[in-house]
Amino acid sequence: MSPTGTASGPARPGWTLRRLLSARNLVVAAATALALLLPLFGSNFFVEFVMTRTMILGIAAATIVFLAAYGGMISLAQYLLAGVAGFMVGNAVVAQDAWSKGLKLGWNPWVAVLFALAVTTAVAFVLGALASRTTGIYFLMITLTYAVIGYYVFGSITPLSGFGGITGIDPPGLFEDHPVRMYLALVVLSVLVYVSFRVLAATPFGLALQGIRDDPVRMASLGFNVSLHRTLAFTLAGFTAGLAGVFNVWWNGQIDPTSISIGPTLDLLIVAVIGGTLSLEGAWLGAFVFVAANNYLRNLPLVDHIGITEARFNTIVGVLVLLIMILSPDGLAGIIERVRKGLHRLFQPPPGPGSTPAEAAAGSP
Amino acid sequence: MSTDAAAAASAERHGSLLSLEAVVVAFGGLQALGGVDLQVSQGDRLALLGPNGAGKTTLFNVIAGDIKPTSGRVTIKGIDCTELPARFRPRLGVARTYQKTRLFRGLTVEDNLYLAQTGRSGRHLALLRSGVDAEFRDRARAMAETVWLADVVGTTAGDLSHGQQRQLEIGMALVTGPEFVMLDEPASGLSRGERERLVQLLLSLDRDITLLLIEHDMDVALRAAHRVVVMNEGHTVASGTPTEIRVDPLVHAIYLGSEAGLGGADP
Ligand SMILES: Nc1ncnc2c1ncn2[C@@H]1O[C@H](COP(=O)(O)OP(=O)(O)O)[C@@H](O)[C@H]1O
Ligand SMILES: [Mg+2]
Repeated sequence: MSPTGTASGPARPGWTLRRLLSARNLVVAAATALALLLPLFGSNFFVEFVMTRTMILGIAAATIVFLAAYGGMISLAQYLLAGVAGFMVGNAVVAQDAWSKGLKLGWNPWVAVLFALAVTTAVAFVLGALASRTTGIYFLMITLTYAVIGYYVFGSITPLSGFGGITGIDPPGLFEDHPVRMYLALVVLSVLVYVSFRVLAATPFGLALQGIRDDPVRMASLGFNVSLHRTLAFTLAGFTAGLAGVFNVWWNGQIDPTSISIGPTLDLLIVAVIGGTLSLEGAWLGAFVFVAANNYLRNLPLVDHIGITEARFNTIVGVLVLLIMILSPDGLAGIIERVRKGLHRLFQPPPGPGSTPAEAAAGSP
Repeated sequence: MSTDAAAAASAERHGSLLSLEAVVVAFGGLQALGGVDLQVSQGDRLALLGPNGAGKTTLFNVIAGDIKPTSGRVTIKGIDCTELPARFRPRLGVARTYQKTRLFRGLTVEDNLYLAQTGRSGRHLALLRSGVDAEFRDRARAMAETVWLADVVGTTAGDLSHGQQRQLEIGMALVTGPEFVMLDEPASGLSRGERERLVQLLLSLDRDITLLLIEHDMDVALRAAHRVVVMNEGHTVASGTPTEIRVDPLVHAIYLGSEAGLGGADP
């Protein structure tokens, strides 16, 4: 047998060119190219607002999808973890003499980023360790509890959250007054996060995580430390949510406890559900649909006509989510996958004379 | 080496591998195991027989650490394992299958067999593939061949037929290179031909491997085992060689009173 094993069998050809050039990867590559070229032809509002927000929400939602698709854990704590990073950045960067609240440590913004990510990762590790013995609905409930408690913690420790929030949080010079640069950085970060999660899925760690998703009892009997594994996956997702949180606070310029309340927490879950909780690409797709609906839907004349005002936007999104969930439990990504399969079948040559009638019948929709 | 040391080594080798003392398991009011004593030596081939609900699977769960006994003691290789969580069993060379298959349904056959090996090694936290990994891969593919799954190594476990899933279940226990294997009804749902292959596989296992087998198919059980223990209602009620058990009137009474007769396979 081959001593390297990486390219020895048909079952695991490694990262061969053929595998890299799959339809899925080509679509992702095309979308990335489009996103990078967008500033050349997109409007300022579309790039700096809609798409920038899409990338931030997409990264945060991807952490939900990562945990759900590979670990079987639906986490409602991801927005809280992004918020922890945001609060840490806010407290660290605002200068002592600024007209703002919080600790006002006045640190270098990049040091602040490292600090924020370290704190977020540590918090994620502790929260993950506490939740790692549960699965399914119990895991969801515990992480929902984290989100609620987190909101109250930041709301009540006012030195940290500064009565009604910390304002005047400037991004580093690299991004200050350069919103397009910030957008491009987010596109690059999105690609990094996406590729990392997918590569991770094929590592020994990632495979074990999927084993735990499928059968934690079997995994334990094979010698795996199931809760440690879940904890580490949650920590990694927390770190990544922290990255989204850092950009979010730079983009907003401020953060307050309401921004991590149950509303935004559920919004992020909705983003993941719209895209499909089992598909990483879906995270960004869901984010785009959510942000676009948020910005454009309410301006439609028709919407004005039938009297749907801003306050009723949530109803529209609710109905949208309901429709998607009824049509496809795997979200938009699931719908696209089914359409793709349908087209594939449509353009497939008709079954040859050798096939049985049963096969032919099964082949036609 | 002195003769004393050789004798000690031999005693160690043929000594008690597994010992259960007065093991009781109660589920609420129901006593699934009512004080079971059992000794298994290295190299033993032991079949556990008994009607449905006799407590055979529960006994496996206790030995494997999947459930803790209400009282009593479990010793494996001289180590008290009564309180030890399931995940420490592989380090003692223990592997098991489940009556109701427990596979990683979203992963391929090869990945299932690969994962079965990594838990024990500590490699499962690794982010990079390594030489050890390649060995695991090779062994996974070799085991796929052993359990007749060579042409479906790339198939997702959830998409396998029932019989193939049973085969993978056995492969996942054997691929760990165990010293002590527990198989819970490995022949259930297999065709006659598949059962015959299974018996051949069990007979071809290394002589040093200790086998504990739950099996309703008398033919499979009595051919693969050297010793038989019969359970009923949470107790061991008879034990002996396959020939003794075949003619034991008590065993006949239990089996004739239940769904399967001796000598006949369960439908
Ligand atoms: N997890 C459980 N909870 C409650 N009762 C159980 C559980 N597992 C097994 N039992 C009961 O214990 C008895 C023995 O079951 P089991 O060990 O599966 O029998 P066998 O494998 O011999 O058919 C049965 O009456 C079964 O209903
Ligand atoms: Mg059973």
